[in-house]
Amino acid sequence: MGYVAVKGGTKAIEASMKRVKYDRIKGEKVLDVHTIMSTMSAMVDQVMSESSLYSPFLAALSIKQAEGNMEEAVFLMRAHRSTLPRLYYSQALETKTMLVERRISASFKDIPGGQLLGSTVDYTHRLLDFNLVDESLEKNKRWLKDYETALQENVPSDHVHYYTKVVEYLREEGLFEEYALDNTDPVDITKESLHFPAPRSARLQVLTRGQTGAVTSLGYASLRGYGQVHPTVGEVRVGHVPIHVKHPNEIEDDAENDYYIGKIKITEVEAFVPVNIKNEDHEEELAFEIGYGVCYGQNETKAIAMSILDQCLEHPEYHFPTHDEEFVLLHIDSVESTGFISHLKLPHYVTFQSRLDSVRRVKKGRQ
Amino acid sequence: MKRRKRTEILIQDDSNLAQDLASMILEKYECREVVMPQYGLTMIKMRESAKKSLFYMGEVLITEAKVEVQSCIGIGIIVGMEEKKARNMAIIDAAYQAGLPETESWEAELIEAEQRIIEKRLKHQADLSETKVDFETMDV
Repeated sequence: MGYVAVKGGTKAIEASMKRVKYDRIKGEKVLDVHTIMSTMSAMVDQVMSESSLYSPFLAALSIKQAEGNMEEAVFLMRAHRSTLPRLYYSQALETKTMLVERRISASFKDIPGGQLLGSTVDYTHRLLDFNLVDESLEKNKRWLKDYETALQENVPSDHVHYYTKVVEYLREEGLFEEYALDNTDPVDITKESLHFPAPRSARLQVLTRGQTGAVTSLGYASLRGYGQVHPTVGEVRVGHVPIHVKHPNEIEDDAENDYYIGKIKITEVEAFVPVNIKNEDHEEELAFEIGYGVCYGQNETKAIAMSILDQCLEHPEYHFPTHDEEFVLLHIDSVESTGFISHLKLPHYVTFQSRLDSVRRVKKGRQ
Repeated sequence: MKRRKRTEILIQDDSNLAQDLASMILEKYECREVVMPQYGLTMIKMRESAKKSLFYMGEVLITEAKVEVQSCIGIGIIVGMEEKKARNMAIIDAAYQAGLPETESWEAELIEAEQRIIEKRLKHQADLSETKVDFETMDV
């Protein structure tokens, strides 16, 4: 059988695209982008994190266009990102300047500054709230008014509080190794291909933009025995961090003359992992290392899972898939994995015909 | 007041201060648009706290504008889609770069705005502190 090049399908594709629009609007409801931003922040955060582009507005727009399909929303964001010029690089963000909205530790009951629950569903009953079916703006306004009235009783402190990291107290005690600032220029995986063994900067960049489900699954796999890391969460913090940019042409290196350009909301995790090390007398002793996780928005599960995988990849182990950086880093990107899987539904006429021909020849030979 | 503090106040201020200050310059000086407000990206460099090394966390959408006032270029950069504010920030930056006399009178207004921002932040922290856990040890 010879192969025949074919063309066509343009009209069918155009008609299919009309069906997409028809399916989205036939219910005669319009979802405002700002409504998505206001009421679906977790989804917006996840899209920003997986697309590696922080813009709540664009993330909400992509969710609307993708009709809530996360992989499609992330794909749209990545595609849009590729149309924009990269104008600046920020100065190094330091999370000690975070304005904390939530901060908890699973390692210590009493942490200096206290455990701040902030906004969380962690302690709620997972029962469907049927009151939301009849939710109205009027009712919400009344609730907000009552809540804000009650808040008026809170007396502000006389200074803005910045929370010291839990790990800093432990470093002061000598329980954790103290590292000097490492200002090595990071690798940027959006500018150069990933090579193995990958530097720590590349690993962290891939992990932070990984698909939430994939990062979580592999972190979970490590806990279940397909890895050797089972940490205790030292600190989870959620809040806003400021971004500063250096003037593009000024030679003077004065941080006070940087531009403040705004803030972003992030989740950061430091997980404490017990490890055996050899002391000066070559005796084995127990010590702790830190697994690090961070992501855009509030997505604590992803950040914790990232901290597990960070620690796994710091200690390559041939026998465990979650300690294998090629296995982890090449399979957690949303666009790469969903793109490759979904390409299987696109025409493979030639390759399949080729296989079919082979099978036919084999069968004919037998006869 | 140096740029870092000034830009933080102007961006966080929600009372149109940037527009008011930029208008003062536009009324008296010629302002040439060098780069119209445009959307772009800033790559976030992050310092992780485990080994204190650097990595790129991802990009953030920004609006950037550049203007020229009295032969000095000013830059306005702001997270999000904020054409007007980026342009106003660029005009103010150019005014400071050119050392225009108007900038001296802005100090008090900026400090006043900073105070408002701090008060708002303090109130927010006080409200959040309602969610601070007060552990009680149980007698078993």
